[in-house]
Amino acid sequence: MTSSPSDRPVLRLALAAEWTKFRTDATQARLLLGLVLLTVAVGAATVATTTCPAPGCGVDAPRTALTGVLVGQVAAVVLGVLTAGNEYHTGMIRTTLAAVPRRSAVLAAKALVLSAAVLVAGALAVAGSLLAARLLLPGNGPTPAHGYPALSLADGPTLRAAAGSVLYLLLVALLGLGAVTATRSSAAATGAVLGLLFVLPALAAVVADPDWQRHLRQVAPMPAGLAVQATLDTARLPIGPWAGLGVLALWAAAALALGRTVLHARDA
Amino acid sequence: MDPTTAERHTSEQHPPGRPGADPAGTIRVTGLRKRFGANPALDGMTFTVRPGRITGFVGPNGAGKSTTMRVVLGLDTPDAGTALVGGRPYRSLHRPFTHLGALLDAGALQPGRTARNHLLWLARSQGIDARRVDRVLAAAGLQEVAGRKAGQFSLGMRQRLGIAAALLGDPPALMLDEPFNGLDPEGFRWIRALLAEQAARGRAVLVSSHLMGELQDTADHLIVVGRGRVIADTTVAALLATASHGRVTLRTAAPDRAVRALAGGGATVSTTGPDTVTVHGLEPERIVALLAAAGVPFAEVSAHRASLEEAYLELTRDAVQYHGGGAR
Repeated sequence: MTSSPSDRPVLRLALAAEWTKFRTDATQARLLLGLVLLTVAVGAATVATTTCPAPGCGVDAPRTALTGVLVGQVAAVVLGVLTAGNEYHTGMIRTTLAAVPRRSAVLAAKALVLSAAVLVAGALAVAGSLLAARLLLPGNGPTPAHGYPALSLADGPTLRAAAGSVLYLLLVALLGLGAVTATRSSAAATGAVLGLLFVLPALAAVVADPDWQRHLRQVAPMPAGLAVQATLDTARLPIGPWAGLGVLALWAAAALALGRTVLHARDA
Repeated sequence: MDPTTAERHTSEQHPPGRPGADPAGTIRVTGLRKRFGANPALDGMTFTVRPGRITGFVGPNGAGKSTTMRVVLGLDTPDAGTALVGGRPYRSLHRPFTHLGALLDAGALQPGRTARNHLLWLARSQGIDARRVDRVLAAAGLQEVAGRKAGQFSLGMRQRLGIAAALLGDPPALMLDEPFNGLDPEGFRWIRALLAEQAARGRAVLVSSHLMGELQDTADHLIVVGRGRVIADTTVAALLATASHGRVTLRTAAPDRAVRALAGGGATVSTTGPDTVTVHGLEPERIVALLAAAGVPFAEVSAHRASLEEAYLELTRDAVQYHGGGAR
């Protein structure tokens, strides 16, 4: 922080600006809190109602514990959308682009600040969910006696499910940011992303052809991305855990690339 | 030398895009064209805003003032032409607020953020110290409300906040779009004094308005625009002189003799009342001399001083007629 301002790279200045905006926006803080609370609460409720009367009951304990991510992701999407969507709504985007005329730097700074915030909130949400499951799960049957050791991040697949869930939340938030930069409307972007996440899998469920169903689950960002939570029978999944998260990453990257193109091409 | 010719001359000698051709603070707009659908918003907009004076940017709504300012800030891309700040395109500037401070739309802020935090993120984007935020808040008379949410501000307070933002980088050029909107008389006086001070310190100041009256006692130089192009680029004094057309009103007990004497001197003269005569085309001094030489008695000779508003209306009316029947 001792360098003279004229030597500071544009991205560093843009980051300082976006971080200041983020931390002085009460809505963003509320959404982050919402993300954590929703994820933990839904996870705990799911765990509390999960029973495993006998050994080999087929409950995927880490996945069950992380069910709240399904709901928490909505907060992550809205957070990503509002990171830029607020500014389109108020016209402040013009002030932002006058302050930082390098538009790619603006988008990159927004993405980095959003990523940092969602990584922290996502880690808290996932840790809280696992902790809740560790306390609640043994009471419902998935006990060590039934072949379920207490949930622990020392277990490889559990760690993968946990870390993957944090990354999942990050990627859907970035998908939201990309979508709003491309559409320049919070409502349109939220609708498009939630549609993509929830409607595509619903479509897969009603497709008769099993091959098509499998392909849809491979390319739809939510089922593919959430494959990273599976710890049982991973060979029978339509797509592998990391490959699935990679599919979601491609969606997010495509949305950001489209957003960047629109941001450069259009008048502000 | 006629300043208008001088400017055209310079812009030909320094082709746009060459850095360092203009002193810091100069805003040079050359041949801007831009269409929104079928409507030409900018139609060859060309002018230069020079340091050390207040340039008024005036024209009816829709004349292209705001579009020009958005192009200068790199927000809108023109179909043709260039806009340079201190010889460089705005989008190539590092820490641009230290080159040009601008107020485009006072409402363009997030209503939930406090005034101070709004200025703080802007300061951070330029690597400007937070202490400067408090200084511009004080300069804008906003210290008392710095902790209040900007969404609760009146339009006048938002204008002050926008001007505080424009001053953040202590730039050699200021560009304000309709800063007088929503201001009370005190705010009005404040902006006038502020702009005069900035110009006196050698800064370039461009202020737009759709009301000439707002600029009458503010601007030194005027750029009058209509339909996306410059109609007049002149000093306030010169514009007033062209508009009054040398009309002189004469009160005399002998209007008929006065008419004969002055018509002989080359003026257009008409009797406009039992003892009043209106004279076009002669200076008051010459009229007095002619009347004295002819021995015509007169009670009063008064040169008509057009208001800037009249001059402006006349100019913009001509432009509309020209465009309406013109080459398009």
